[in-house]
Amino acid sequence: MKTVKKGNIVPYLFILPAFIIHACIVTAPSLSTLVMSLFEWNGMGNAKYIGFNNFKEIFKDPLVKLAVVHNIEWLLVFITVPLLLGFVVAILVSQLRKCQMFLRTVYFVPYVISAAVAGRIWTAYMNPYYGVNQVFAGFGWEKLSKMQYLGNPRIALFAVAFVDNWHWWGFIMVLFLGALQQVDPTLYEAAKVDGANRFQELIHVSIPGIRQTIAFVLIMTIMWSFLTFDYVYIMTNGGPANATEIMATYIYKNAFVKYRAGYANALCVIQSGICIILYFLQKYVSKLGGMDDE
Amino acid sequence: MNKKVGNTISSRILSAIGVLFLVFMALFAAIPLLQVLFNSFKTDRECKTSPLGLPKEWVFNNYGETWEIGGYATAYFNSLLTAFVVIVVVLTIVGLGAYALTKLQFKLRGFFTAYFFVAISLPGFLYIVPDYFVMNKIGLVDTRWSLMIVYTAMQIPFNMLLLRTFFTGIPRELEEAAKIDGCNEINSFLRITLPIAKPMFLTVAILVFVNVWNEFLWSNTFITKDELKLVATRYVRFTGEHGMNMSRIYTASVITIAPVIILYLFFSRRFIEGMTSGSVKG
Repeated sequence: MKTVKKGNIVPYLFILPAFIIHACIVTAPSLSTLVMSLFEWNGMGNAKYIGFNNFKEIFKDPLVKLAVVHNIEWLLVFITVPLLLGFVVAILVSQLRKCQMFLRTVYFVPYVISAAVAGRIWTAYMNPYYGVNQVFAGFGWEKLSKMQYLGNPRIALFAVAFVDNWHWWGFIMVLFLGALQQVDPTLYEAAKVDGANRFQELIHVSIPGIRQTIAFVLIMTIMWSFLTFDYVYIMTNGGPANATEIMATYIYKNAFVKYRAGYANALCVIQSGICIILYFLQKYVSKLGGMDDE
Repeated sequence: MNKKVGNTISSRILSAIGVLFLVFMALFAAIPLLQVLFNSFKTDRECKTSPLGLPKEWVFNNYGETWEIGGYATAYFNSLLTAFVVIVVVLTIVGLGAYALTKLQFKLRGFFTAYFFVAISLPGFLYIVPDYFVMNKIGLVDTRWSLMIVYTAMQIPFNMLLLRTFFTGIPRELEEAAKIDGCNEINSFLRITLPIAKPMFLTVAILVFVNVWNEFLWSNTFITKDELKLVATRYVRFTGEHGMNMSRIYTASVITIAPVIILYLFFSRRFIEGMTSGSVKG
């Protein structure tokens, strides 16, 4: 009798510390964000219930519109450039006989360093007077040497996206390479027997073989594009003239600069809503593919 | 050996182009970082006039000065202390939790597993605002505790699922044999699972360390006092203040990323496998 009871309690003693800490710091506050999005609140004083007014304001706020447009531009960059780059490089690396591990290690380096440092390093390189422009001027490239990468509102967002890409594509490449290495080698042999060339092999064996990973990367890219924060905050903080304002920097400003916690919470609800839906879509897609480990 | 002799030349050219491209991309990944290292040995003037290439004259005083002025001794201490506490707590509670989820039978096992799968999807922005204002109210903002608590909580779901996947691979018979020999759950965890899982715990510890070392959003929000700042936020503050002194920026960058890069060079496989493991399965 005693052992049965003990057996019932022990698993809970094991799991509850992790569960309680996480629920208190993450889940409960997340739920309170949902509730507080219906209030006008400055973070300190009394909160005032205002129904859906925050959400109404969001739809009228021109800066929100601008931020969402920037997030979508960001998404368009990230759903093409790093994916193509990662894919091509992964295909090439998977065909090498040596150096696979070495190259993988090199490509992954930018991913392990802090976004704060990567952002500042590239800000230094992009400094209009002391950065690579000095080198361009040395080559006599007048026009290029006067470029203001982060100061020109028309290109600032793409300059930041370039840096985030530098940090990001190696991660995508490693995902693709890992998937390619799991493709059944007999499929390639079968394709060879059928007389397929390299390109046909790619279309008919490699891509179908890693379609799960491609789907995962696509959906995660969409999700991350709406959450992205660090690089923009570090390099431009939304400037110049709101040219790089994105959802996350706008939320941050509302919450911790303007102290409009209620409004920030409403923005968070919309941003997170998009992402959580996509997360479950990804889960659903990978379940369809029968790859889920559950 | 190639049967299609006519194709060899064109396919050789193609693969040469491929290799060139791979080398180019390797340089693209590595050169910006190597250049930072080179620039940290240049004078400020040389950093500004020729920011690319090796130093013409090597100077070594940047490091001492930057370390001193930037207060990096304190920042390193704060980061190491925070990382240490978070690693110990996360390994303990996540180790126990993952053990329960994989090796023990209980009623709510399915619920807890599902909970962590959902929990991993909650973005930080969803709870940073209430966390900040609650911690502000109870006086935890601007203390080391705030980040220790928050980081621990944030690290739980991913590492729980990671360890869960690892533990599933340990044959059940081992623990059952231990139980037949009279071990209780804690003992069978400590004597059987833990020794086998040591390398997995190392992977988790490394991942947690890197996350704590690199994290920016939360530590930038919760800590405003310089003497409590972790390395990454101290770095951002320092480079903001010394924005015109390029050699300091480059040197501070090296000081800030060196521990992570060194760890990475030793454990690159663990880094890569750990950081990408949640991706395909989760």
